[in-house]
Amino acid sequence: MHEMSIAMNIIDIACKEAKKDGASSISSIELDVGKLSGVMIDSLNFCYESVCKGTLAENSTLSINEVPARANCKKCNCSFEIDSFMALCPECEGYEIEILQGRELKLRAVSVN
Amino acid sequence: MCDTCGCGSDSTTFRKHGEDHHHHGDGHHHTHDHHTHDHSDDHSHDRTISVEQDILGENNLLAQRNRGYFEAKNVFAINLVSSPGSGKTTLLEKTLTALKEEIPSAVIEGDQQTMNDADRIATTGVPVLQINTGNGCHLDADMIHTAYGELKLQDNSALFIENVGNLVCPALFDLGENKRVVVISVTEGDDKPLKYPTMFDAADICIINKIDLLPYVQFDVEKCKEYALQVNHKLEFFEVSATTGAGMDSWYEWLKEMSK
Repeated sequence: MHEMSIAMNIIDIACKEAKKDGASSISSIELDVGKLSGVMIDSLNFCYESVCKGTLAENSTLSINEVPARANCKKCNCSFEIDSFMALCPECEGYEIEILQGRELKLRAVSVN
Repeated sequence: MCDTCGCGSDSTTFRKHGEDHHHHGDGHHHTHDHHTHDHSDDHSHDRTISVEQDILGENNLLAQRNRGYFEAKNVFAINLVSSPGSGKTTLLEKTLTALKEEIPSAVIEGDQQTMNDADRIATTGVPVLQINTGNGCHLDADMIHTAYGELKLQDNSALFIENVGNLVCPALFDLGENKRVVVISVTEGDDKPLKYPTMFDAADICIINKIDLLPYVQFDVEKCKEYALQVNHKLEFFEVSATTGAGMDSWYEWLKEMSK
């Protein structure tokens, strides 16, 4: 359940930003969550609901943009989409790949009023 | 537990072996805002603030601070991760007993409850601090910062951090370690790297433990290594039995080399 810590971090960052802006409440929080970030989106949503209570973000919505994962083959240098860490290169079937994107865990924007 | 949200995050305790009291960390600092004050009309309209921040940014920053401290004191820090029961504590007991004359060491033990592991480590004579995370499923960089402050690390030493037994959550939390070591035992399935890839992706070293039990279990070492390499082709392996000592010499040699 590391999603609980992550939900708490999200609320911390969002509330700090909202306060700096002098906002009275947060209506939504936008995230980038990579496919290989190690975070379960259902679990994050569940934790978020309980953590946002009593904060500026109470009753806000969490908008999650799931970032697909991409990798580059170190052998033949081709770039391709992957859906797990175990992906093989579709061209040469090598597994020496470098993950280019998909680990994101980022708070993009906070909508406030 | 936090009275406001019940999150349990301040239930972490730090206790040295032999101390009969513990203290709480001051890590609980998330926001509980209540917004009962009036706001000017200037701010009454909806607007979007661009943030673009890493959600684990604060932990990563604290981890970098730990890393800087370790570098300045020439402390080689290892984060040991695994599922519960893979033999991390036995591996540590044997390692510390074998190397304590050559490498001054200290240990941070992470478990949800009990001093059991710290008590076991203490019998080796190496300084140890137990972190009990309460409901927490992983150690984080702030806990490590508090813990090594208590331990008063020596210059030119090694710090072994035994993370909470959990093959999922600790993967995401950088502690500032030099190397992350994932331990898997042959009594688990050889497909563990495929089932828990995030942890194997985040590790530098994979120790396959309890190899003395190979005749009695269906565990294919080569298959396990192949799976792990599919997840992370940079992984290095040690095949050991902490109980019998088989394969431990090459692990000790590696530690000595890294701790120079």
